[in-house]
Amino acid sequence: MVTLVRPANEETIMTHYSSQRRAYLTLVLISLFCLMPFFWVVLAAFDPKASQFLQIPDGITVNHFWNLLANESGVRWVLNSVGIVGTATFLTLILAGFGGYALSRTQAWWKRPLLYAIILVRIVPPPALIVPVYKVMLFLNDWINGVINSLTSDVAQQMLLSRMFSFVDGYLGLILIQTAMQLPLAIWIMKTFFDAIPKDYEEAAALDGASQWQTVRHVLIPLALPGFAAAGLFAFINAWGDFLMPLMFTSSPELQTLPLGMFRAFLRVDAIDYGFLTALAVIYTLPAVIAFAFARKFLTQTFSGGVKG
Amino acid sequence: MSQIELINIKKNYMGTEVVKGIDVTINEGEFAVIVGPSGCGKSTLLRMIAGLEDISSGELKIGGKLMNNVSPDQREIAMVFQSYALYPHMTVAENIGFALALKKTDKAEINRRVLEAAKMLELEHLLERKPAALSGGQRQRVAIGRAIVKRPKVILFDEPLSNLDAKLRVQMRTELMRLHREFGSTIVYVTHDQVEAMTMAQKIIVLNNGHVAQMGKPMDLYRDPENTFVAQFIGVPKMNLLRGNLQADVFTLQSGQKLQLDCGYSDGVNLQLGVRPEHLKLELLAQGSGSENNSEHSWTVDVVERLGVESFIHLCNAARDVLVLRLEGDCDLQVDSKVAVRFDCSHCYLFNDAGVRLLPNSAAMHLAG
Repeated sequence: MVTLVRPANEETIMTHYSSQRRAYLTLVLISLFCLMPFFWVVLAAFDPKASQFLQIPDGITVNHFWNLLANESGVRWVLNSVGIVGTATFLTLILAGFGGYALSRTQAWWKRPLLYAIILVRIVPPPALIVPVYKVMLFLNDWINGVINSLTSDVAQQMLLSRMFSFVDGYLGLILIQTAMQLPLAIWIMKTFFDAIPKDYEEAAALDGASQWQTVRHVLIPLALPGFAAAGLFAFINAWGDFLMPLMFTSSPELQTLPLGMFRAFLRVDAIDYGFLTALAVIYTLPAVIAFAFARKFLTQTFSGGVKG
Repeated sequence: MSQIELINIKKNYMGTEVVKGIDVTINEGEFAVIVGPSGCGKSTLLRMIAGLEDISSGELKIGGKLMNNVSPDQREIAMVFQSYALYPHMTVAENIGFALALKKTDKAEINRRVLEAAKMLELEHLLERKPAALSGGQRQRVAIGRAIVKRPKVILFDEPLSNLDAKLRVQMRTELMRLHREFGSTIVYVTHDQVEAMTMAQKIIVLNNGHVAQMGKPMDLYRDPENTFVAQFIGVPKMNLLRGNLQADVFTLQSGQKLQLDCGYSDGVNLQLGVRPEHLKLELLAQGSGSENNSEHSWTVDVVERLGVESFIHLCNAARDVLVLRLEGDCDLQVDSKVAVRFDCSHCYLFNDAGVRLLPNSAAMHLAG
């Protein structure tokens, strides 16, 4: 590319500024266009007369949130989502920590093929996996229900245990599915992260007299915190936003998660309550934003300085 | 007792032998330096002493006890890593006191010992800092503090100065020697830098290709190298080696130059004559004189390195032999000028084709007797 250098006279400087102004103006317009739905969601959530149009509210109300938490099954949906996604994220982090560490440290020939096989699970579109996964889960479900029935003959207890531990239409199944879906990316993140942690730290800890567990607890976990934060953030946000798996693996209204609840509220035959929907959307968005705010500290944190100068 | 004995120690990596049977004894309180080029197995040997690598065969004894299968923390050793390996999430005080905290030592006792180590290393004002906020030299001292706070019988150093700049390296060398004097621990120090080995060691172990090429006191290695490897590894610039034949105590270089050796060596062909740069003398050849044309005696100045206090002259001759010669002080020799070189034959060494030192008959007889 040839760059012509002109003397910086007043005219060219003015042209430069005005072209920059035009560029910024365009960017601002595009940003406004993108932010419009969010404005609408936030405004409508607090608007006593929320509608499908973007409008400045006459007053401010928190009634939509009250409705959601008091009258509807809103609390249950939020708790279901938090419980399932939270547990799945926790499980993902534990498994990805072990898996990522092992894959980082091993020199075995199968390391690379296994890594690509793991990421393949992530590449395959989830709907393509529904039928085989459903088959497997159904098989496991029959087995666990057999176990539950043999444990107790009390129907109420059976119902409760089945809700907790069923593989289809139960918490356990949904947690495991979410964990399995988030694990490949988390393992890759953790593996890459452990690659950057020199083995010297572990050897120094061994010479200091640390046991395996003490090395993990006092050295590896603190060093890998930014990695855990990144992996956890991605796992949480992905699982939080997942619609397909709860749709496929739950049928009881008691098990519905937030996205499913929103979907069903939107599809109601009677008049759509936009205030209710947008309040739900705000609550649905919040955890992801909060999770990001927490993880940001770790994501940007560098951990240089321990090794070399 | 913290004597270290290595008895026929070997290490195999997937069928490749990297340490090929090493027998070394490092006495209690000795400062031993293992030195050798990259890939000679010196770090592997150190890691085997530390317990970070398995020993394929042979015996390792520390203080008379067999240590082959003893875990690193039970060996009463400490190690300073090349990378320092300071825990970045801990402060200097926590780094130094980590080993004591793991042993559930009393908190007051930990503080006392950390402070004691910090005072010795002049780190008191840095105790609350994280490693990222320290300079290279300070990190190095924290790493040493972490090693000495355990009061180990043996301290291992794995190329600890290689990440420091030249000035700091000189300073740390003297500090390490002082620490050794004060502590009296046995030290095993690995480096590829022969200057570190010469200045600090009480015993140098020169490794080459998984074998001990020679070991002994620094000046013994310098004065009496047993082979061309040690001869060239110890001393800067390295010893000059010139090929030639010996007949009736006259060594004939490839260029035809003849040198009278009067020590009574056996005759031989394809030998190597070793002479250090400081044992060569320069003689300028007058322009147009007959000796300038006498090509077998004339050397051409190739490079002149002027360091002020001394100068190194790189020379070559018609047979493409290369010599480096040391002169006191400055010199204003021009490149491409012709010079003659006088060899100090009382400081010449003779090696056979395989690089093994040959001794004069009198010395050989003396040794045999």
